[in-house]
Amino acid sequence: MKRSQLSIMNRSFTKLNERRSTLIYNEDTINLKQRVQKIRKNSVEHLHLLLEKAQENLTANGMEVILAKDAEEARESIYQLIKNEDMIAKSKSNTAGEIQLSEYLESRDVEVLETDLGDRIVQFHTSRPTHPIGPACHLNMEKIAEVVSDKFQREVKAEPRAILETVKKDILEKLSQCKVGITGANSVAAEDGSLLMVHNEGNISLLTMLDLHIVLVGIDKLVPTLEDAMSVVKLETIYATGKTVPAYMNVVSSPSKTADIEQILLKDMYGAKRVVLIFLDNGRSRALEEKEECLWCIGCGACIVNCPVYTTLGPDFGYLRHLGGRGIVLSHFIENDEVCYDSGLYQCTLCGLCTVECPLEIPTNNMLEDLRKESVKKGLYLEKHGEIRENIRKRGSSFKQET
Amino acid sequence: MLYFRGCVVREKLPQIEMATCMVLKKAGIDYDIVDGEECCGSFLLRTGFTDDALQVMHKTSQNLKDETILVSCAGCYNTLKNDYKKYLGVELDVIHTSQLFSNLIKQGIIKPKKLPVNVCYHDPCHLGRHCGEYQSPREVLASVANLVPMENEKENSHCCGAGGGVKSAYPELASEIALKRVDDALQAGAELLVTCCPFCVLNLESEKLKVIDLTEFFCLCNSVESLENNISKEDILKKSPNTQKKI
Repeated sequence: MKRSQLSIMNRSFTKLNERRSTLIYNEDTINLKQRVQKIRKNSVEHLHLLLEKAQENLTANGMEVILAKDAEEARESIYQLIKNEDMIAKSKSNTAGEIQLSEYLESRDVEVLETDLGDRIVQFHTSRPTHPIGPACHLNMEKIAEVVSDKFQREVKAEPRAILETVKKDILEKLSQCKVGITGANSVAAEDGSLLMVHNEGNISLLTMLDLHIVLVGIDKLVPTLEDAMSVVKLETIYATGKTVPAYMNVVSSPSKTADIEQILLKDMYGAKRVVLIFLDNGRSRALEEKEECLWCIGCGACIVNCPVYTTLGPDFGYLRHLGGRGIVLSHFIENDEVCYDSGLYQCTLCGLCTVECPLEIPTNNMLEDLRKESVKKGLYLEKHGEIRENIRKRGSSFKQET
Repeated sequence: MLYFRGCVVREKLPQIEMATCMVLKKAGIDYDIVDGEECCGSFLLRTGFTDDALQVMHKTSQNLKDETILVSCAGCYNTLKNDYKKYLGVELDVIHTSQLFSNLIKQGIIKPKKLPVNVCYHDPCHLGRHCGEYQSPREVLASVANLVPMENEKENSHCCGAGGGVKSAYPELASEIALKRVDDALQAGAELLVTCCPFCVLNLESEKLKVIDLTEFFCLCNSVESLENNISKEDILKKSPNTQKKI
């Protein structure tokens, strides 16, 4: 990543730190954090049971549920649902990033309309998102204006309102031609059969009103109840943005319906005619067996904001949209040792700051240290480290013989 | 007491060993230096070479049992204290130099002299976050200098960039991270950056700010060395930062 983009990203991170600084230490947040730790740890521990319950209850509520064991299955399921469309609308989703959905759909001639402003800008700029909630925080206003001007072939002033209006107008025009909306979900309540989505722009509300609403979600997002889900997303919002609540929390439990005429159930009032939920495994079951802590994550991005390595290398340190050390752990389960190695397995200093920053206290440095053992067993280690091992074998010291 | 120097002190920063021995002598503590001292195993554990680590740890543990082990290195401290228990089931009695010095001051065995120099303390990850020792080094420093707080301290301390094998495999990344840490100290108004891990010392050294190990600084401030009886702030700040042996 370019040095100039890194410094803009770090400036954004400094602002975020300032905004969060008092909020994360207040008593309410600490209580919420303790509650969410219990919820998440308990949910991950009983993940398969929750998944069964969720399938049952979501289906009973009128949604369609598909289980996808890997990225390919998920992409194919989505493609089968939308293959007659020229364009689909999408909200920000790190899970969609994980399965490289946009790239896949574009390759099959389906245009993807990103509706989140930051994502749309990154889509125009063709760079990698740098924060799970603020994907464009590596671009400054001048650069964004330049990218947007290039896209629309007319000069857009380097002024936030002008940029917003230009992008919004284009998105709304295109959105009127879309019949399918694809979103993620921040948390899924198994017992209620409900999906909880968080956003600030209102874009997800618009997507839920299209004919078909496809929700792509990792199975790790499951919690027992809607109250639990609400706690999770409140904490996520605090750690991700420094605000106590987002502008919107949408709960979707069924396609649009009414019973206003003699209590006769009628579908298809204003919202989606169909809601299809795709539960993505993609290595999560494996992770559950070996390193379940990496599934506690609520997606706030607090781990990368102060990470010495991430703030120096940017998204090259991580795996697709799973940024930073925890993303590298996940890459081992989603892909294999080679991808894990290439994602930066040995770039982490194992300092443990991310565990302190993480509201779930995920022990990422311990997990990475463990994964290095497996990597070495496969012969995947750095030449320099191999040399030092030889020095230790020969003379009990990391250093070569003094010359 | 057994003094386990660790590989960086042994081979790159011998002045830390000298300083440690002087303080021990002044305090009248009997000590031995580990015969044929080898590796503690930290590097091997952090980089995934578990089999090699276990071999070397087993060997090293034989020399360290039933003694109080004094260490200069935060990495050795964390490894001997926590990993020997985790991997070998061996509980070692380990003490870091900063903890020993703090005790010596509290017991009145060493009466520190304070110099009017503004210092920041960098928490080594191995000693701080991984072992929870934030206080002892600060107590020692506050007794010999003006300890100035800096951004990102204690539990939230930022890594110097050397850990986990990054310094050897990605030296540029390690140096870039180190410079940010040095900036934290400069912004706090430090004239000197003190830490108590030789890996951190080596990685944090730059043209921008003098970095010194706590033991060496403590030794200098207390004029343990007879030749430096009247050491001044200027003497310490002038002392060349690159005194380590080239290997």
